Amino acid sequence: MRSRNILAAAVAALTLFGAAFALQRGRSFDDEENSPAPMPADAAEKTEYTFARLKYPSYRGGSMGWSMRGNWTVDWPKADRQFVQGVRRLSRVHTRSVEQVVDLESDDLFNYPWLYVVEPGHWDLPENQARKLREYLERGGFMMTDDFHGTFEWEIFMDSMGRVLPGRPAVDVEEKDALFHVLYDLDERFQVPGIIMFYTGRTFEYDGVDPKWRAIYDDKGRIMVAIGHNMDLGDAWEWADHPRYPERYASLAYRVGLNYVIYSMTH
Amino acid sequence: MFELLFKYPASVFSKGKLVFLGAWPVWLLPALIVLGVLALAVPAWRNRDQAGGRARGYRLASLWLLQAAMLTLLLLLIWQPALSVATLKPQQNIVAVVIDDSKSMALDEKGTTRKDQIVKALQDGVLESLGKKFLVRLYRFSGKLERMEKLEELTAGGNATRIGDNLAQVAAESSTLPIGAVVLASDGADNSGGVDLDTINLLRRQRIPVHTIGVGRERFEKDVEVTGVQVAPRALADSRLSAQVTLKQRGYTQSKARITVKAEGATLAVQDVTLRSEGALQTEAVVFNAGSAGVKNLQIFIDKLAGEENPNNNTVTRLVNVEARKPRILYIEGEPKWEFKFIRRAIEEDRSLQLATILRTTQNKIYTQGVSNPAELAQGFPSKVDDLFAFQGIVIGGVEAGYFTSSQIELIKQFVDRRGGGVLFLAGRAGLSDGGWGKPTMSDLLPVTMPDRKPAFHRDPATVELTPMGALSLICRLEDGTEKNVERWKKLPYLADYQEVGAPKPGAVVLADALPTSKGRLPMLVVQNYGRGRVGVMATQGTWRWQMTQPLADKTHEMFWQQLLRWLVQETPGRVIATTPKPVLADEEKVTFRADIRDRNYLPMADAKVNANVLGPQGVSAQVEMLPDPLNPGSYSADWRAEKPGAYVAEILARRGEEEAGRDVVNFRREDGVAENFAAEQNRELLSKLSAETGGKYYKTSDLKKLAEDISYSEAGITVRETRDLWDMPFVFLLLLAMRAGEWLLRRRWGVI
Repeated sequence: MRSRNILAAAVAALTLFGAAFALQRGRSFDDEENSPAPMPADAAEKTEYTFARLKYPSYRGGSMGWSMRGNWTVDWPKADRQFVQGVRRLSRVHTRSVEQVVDLESDDLFNYPWLYVVEPGHWDLPENQARKLREYLERGGFMMTDDFHGTFEWEIFMDSMGRVLPGRPAVDVEEKDALFHVLYDLDERFQVPGIIMFYTGRTFEYDGVDPKWRAIYDDKGRIMVAIGHNMDLGDAWEWADHPRYPERYASLAYRVGLNYVIYSMTH
Repeated sequence: MFELLFKYPASVFSKGKLVFLGAWPVWLLPALIVLGVLALAVPAWRNRDQAGGRARGYRLASLWLLQAAMLTLLLLLIWQPALSVATLKPQQNIVAVVIDDSKSMALDEKGTTRKDQIVKALQDGVLESLGKKFLVRLYRFSGKLERMEKLEELTAGGNATRIGDNLAQVAAESSTLPIGAVVLASDGADNSGGVDLDTINLLRRQRIPVHTIGVGRERFEKDVEVTGVQVAPRALADSRLSAQVTLKQRGYTQSKARITVKAEGATLAVQDVTLRSEGALQTEAVVFNAGSAGVKNLQIFIDKLAGEENPNNNTVTRLVNVEARKPRILYIEGEPKWEFKFIRRAIEEDRSLQLATILRTTQNKIYTQGVSNPAELAQGFPSKVDDLFAFQGIVIGGVEAGYFTSSQIELIKQFVDRRGGGVLFLAGRAGLSDGGWGKPTMSDLLPVTMPDRKPAFHRDPATVELTPMGALSLICRLEDGTEKNVERWKKLPYLADYQEVGAPKPGAVVLADALPTSKGRLPMLVVQNYGRGRVGVMATQGTWRWQMTQPLADKTHEMFWQQLLRWLVQETPGRVIATTPKPVLADEEKVTFRADIRDRNYLPMADAKVNANVLGPQGVSAQVEMLPDPLNPGSYSADWRAEKPGAYVAEILARRGEEEAGRDVVNFRREDGVAENFAAEQNRELLSKLSAETGGKYYKTSDLKKLAEDISYSEAGITVRETRDLWDMPFVFLLLLAMRAGEWLLRRRWGVI
């Protein structure tokens, strides 16, 4: 009897919580979230560059609410497909119109020297996968991370990253670094928020107030891992076509993404 | 036997002139022969039906011919034939006995030496018989000719054998001395390149016969010799080099031998080879790394084999100048691609190359890397000669020909043709034929005839295999061993893409083929020389998979691109190119410097002032002015004598007025005491030819009895002309007897007596 009361109270609380969010955001993103991007007609075209998204095992810990919010599928596939439309339109990179999901159990990973990892604050790489990712990066693969926030997720990210590239620190990228100039001069950067800002009214999540542009370098000073912490470029790509998503955020997200792609193909 | 039948030695016949001593006129002889022969024919014809008609046809002709021959011979004898021959006046002529005193004369000849062999042969009556007829002067020679009083002065210690130079000196002495003949005793192991035509002509003009005595074995029984080594005289640091080692062996067919390359005590390469055909030249390529910058004194040798008779001819020295320069390559790419990134990475690891890149990132933007200053290449691909010719190589990636102006296209052609640079074309959506590079403006530069159909570029996998030429090329050398290298290529991961490039042109070399799953075998890496430079086509942009899909420790991708781009620029000259034809002077002094001087536009500079500043061992220092070649604008040369053994360096400096046109360095080394170790078998061919060309004769040491008499017949020195009767030669009487007996026997046999 007591447990039934607790369950009823929880359902009532969730209903009230949801109604409050619905009132706050005014218009729902649910429709778009539930309808994935259509498969482009030229999806089978063979190209030079392919947006490769890493499928990784999730961290098993933290609260249930936190753990439900992040995994490798976030924003997939619409963010990927919208981003590569920008790459096609704004650069000479011969780009595939659809993404490629890769994982660290297969050697197929090595056919895609550019890798996107979303929500790495939720990843938990076992030793064999960490070893393979290390080999990938040391051979010349490039990885960008996105959409993880605050101290807690940073620690989880670095926990696995430490196994991937032990002894290589993640450092702030200097303004003069080619990463910020290879295609666009990104001297004025700001926090690119996810759509949660429409629910919370804030551009940051958890304690991740300030965007961090960090990287892990190889011995020759080339970026192996470009780390976007406390930002959500994936949402900006995904919702760039949404009338309510601010253009300035989408624009910066595309420019950052394009710089990362060009950097990965030049360094 | 010859003399028994013909009364005189053969040399009398070869040198003498036929004369008739009879009182009757010579014209009467053929007339009488004709009359006599016809006269014999008449009775033969009339009597043809006698003896039952058995003397008809060929029998009749045979009998008539025998009679006619005998009549002819008898008539000849009546006219008293004789030989008129010039002979040296006794005790009034000098015979120069010139004996090889070089180190090769100390070689072992079954318990004795070559020197001892000739001493014994001469002392065994030869000098004595010569002395009875002539004044004998003894000489010994190696590098220089020296007079000697007795044979005991021979040492067999000279460092060189220069037969031609020394014979010329003897010929020069004949202007003041009545030298009637030269007797040359040698093994013929000349190491100055043989006897030149001028010396032969000099001897012939002065009618001095050179009689040669061959000393030593014409063939070793067990020996292996390094007869030559070819290696590039200059290289970039850390380059792979190939030494083409040529061997000759006797007695070791199918045996194993080990070739080693060393420099300054460090072993650079070891290669085991199987020795092939006896006496034939065999060439083996030994690949090694040039190492860090500096002049490398390479020792290339074969380990001594069991029972080898002359191990001193197993080692050869060569100089390689490993240069510290870092040639610059300009790489323009039409769109971002993985190959671009990984080529850049490969060259970043190369200490000897610099790569500047232009990448078209968007339709209107370029991104440059590796530039020497922010302004360099900021406007894109250079349009001025100075800017483009500052590079040594160009790589044109997937960028269409239409991106360049016509003057830039012409500049690219001149970059190869005149400047001597290298251009490499890569595949791509806008590369090669898909980018319009097959059009006439550029097609003559390319090593392939490009196809018209589009698209020729395919993003489909293709494996790679080396061609036979590729297996030997240093560009494609991933393993030192040739077979191992070929196998490694077969195991490489497949390429991400390939491009059809058409057929290779005559003169082009295909080094590797791409094997897509459905199109058979297509040329993938094709190279050719063009003008002063070189051009290559790499029909893929997908070798990056060699880097990404192989373990980190695998250096295939880096090695290949470093070697390909080194090939592209290694031979690209500066404005001054200095060379010497012989970087290692084996017991020689004379060195020749050559220089090719170009102006800023790389056109020949005919009005330069060129000097060679030479530094050598023991403080040797000299400045040598190099003179222009009037027939070859821009070419300058000078001869100089390196009087001391050791290492030399010559800096060639070219100036035009106050402007320095450029400078280059050439290294050379004089080594003494090595030349005699090589080609040490008796060179009978040289000695025979020398004697034949000068009217002398070749002798073996065991057959010198006739030497003194043969020498008598000479037209040099103080001579008298003598006639020698021929009618009383035993051969004549034997011939008459044979003809008469033959006729009688035939008549008996055919019953026509």
